[in-house]
Amino acid sequence: MSNPPEQPTRLSLAPDPFEFWRQIYEANERAWNASLERAMGTPAFAEAQGKLLETILSAQKTARDSMRTYLETINVPTREDIARLGEMIAALEEKIDQLDDRLEARLERFEAALDRAVARAGVEARASGDGRARSRAKAG
Amino acid sequence: MATDLRSPLPSPWAAADSVWTANERSLDVARAVLGARDAPVGTTPKEVVWRKNKACLYRYLRATPATQQTPVLLVLPLINRAYILDLRPGASFVQSLLGRGFDVFLLDWGIPGDEDRNLDIETLVTRYLPRAVRKARQAAGVAELTMLGYCIGGALVACYTALYPDAIKNLVLFTAPITFAESGKFGSWTAKNAFPIDELVEVFPTVPGSMPDLGSKMLNPLPSTVGTYVRLWDKLGDESFDVAGWQAMYRWVNEGVPFPGAAFRQWIKEFYREDKLARGTLEFDGRRVLLGNIRCPVLNVAASADAIAPRSTTGSTLSLVGSADKQELLVKGGHVGIVVGRAASNDLWPKVADWLERHD
Repeated sequence: MSNPPEQPTRLSLAPDPFEFWRQIYEANERAWNASLERAMGTPAFAEAQGKLLETILSAQKTARDSMRTYLETINVPTREDIARLGEMIAALEEKIDQLDDRLEARLERFEAALDRAVARAGVEARASGDGRARSRAKAG
Repeated sequence: MATDLRSPLPSPWAAADSVWTANERSLDVARAVLGARDAPVGTTPKEVVWRKNKACLYRYLRATPATQQTPVLLVLPLINRAYILDLRPGASFVQSLLGRGFDVFLLDWGIPGDEDRNLDIETLVTRYLPRAVRKARQAAGVAELTMLGYCIGGALVACYTALYPDAIKNLVLFTAPITFAESGKFGSWTAKNAFPIDELVEVFPTVPGSMPDLGSKMLNPLPSTVGTYVRLWDKLGDESFDVAGWQAMYRWVNEGVPFPGAAFRQWIKEFYREDKLARGTLEFDGRRVLLGNIRCPVLNVAASADAIAPRSTTGSTLSLVGSADKQELLVKGGHVGIVVGRAASNDLWPKVADWLERHD
């Protein structure tokens, strides 16, 4: 915080600790980041990261398996059971969508056929109208 | 706060007060960060046109009828919240398109749950996208529309357009990785001998959103972690700093979406490791996905300093598509700078809208 101008002899009792490390950080960010980036770009880093992930996954799998066994023992649906129900609902929705697709395709074909039929009927009606007019003209 | 030099030992209360006020801005940092989760985002009014599972197709409401004939369908990446394209008033690509007279649709993939573990990219491209496109066309009453995909969404719409080119008038790709032969650090971190993808999706039906987010942060480790808060601390001293804007962006960055296990496995194996899309060996529904089948006009927007979709993944897209009318816009900046920020709204978005107008 800045000193009020009428009290020039005052100084900060508690220099801002954040400000202190911020200055250190800002002065070194680029260099530190470049070093980190270089280290993270190496195949050794990728391999180590993979190994770490494998370890975490292994622990996670053990915990999940134990929990599943426990829940099954006490007759409580597991997370997988509930997910399976959700999958069945999604599969049902997909079937409804497929029916919707087929219905729409049929409707489109039906509408196209209807348009063609109406157009054909119009042509025939005009042709027969012309024929009747010609007959009337002859008779007249 | 400060103390008077004349008093050799300040009272404990004065000392406490001094510590408190000296660090007031640090408290503002905490307030800004904690308040970010409630930052208003995606506020442009919209209506739901279609739903499937967690996916939702929205149509943005217009005050006046669209003046452009071809609607635009925006397709987002699977791992991000969809509101990035409509972040907040004044920083919204959606609003920019609406302002230029376009009818705008957006496909939000939603947030998958464990029940979506078998949802793969093939299903998204062959079951979800065709229906979303049909529903958007029906809602707009048009035969063709423009598809615009961002990041992974761009790869998805490229696959879709290659398989079903009929209803697509134009294709726009925003930092969409297509070629993975040289895929940067993501490529090396997810390489076959380094990344246990099968074990990962076996344990996690949906890969936690924090994992791709961590990967993105590791691309630029210090500025994207510690640097975020240090820069915020600096900016909070500036009265003109837009805290609400920072909070909206912070919220988006930290609100990752889980990746369905099967889709993540396919993304890593068939796209990153085997580069099947660019090689023309990707098969969906028994059909080859050949980018050469894309004949519509294509606009490829790439970022020069993109670490997530580096130039090696976006640079050869135009040479792979079969279109005669194709253009690339290379903008300065990173992966996210294309969809938010002043440079995007002042320069890129008007250029994209101009291109869309010319191809309307």
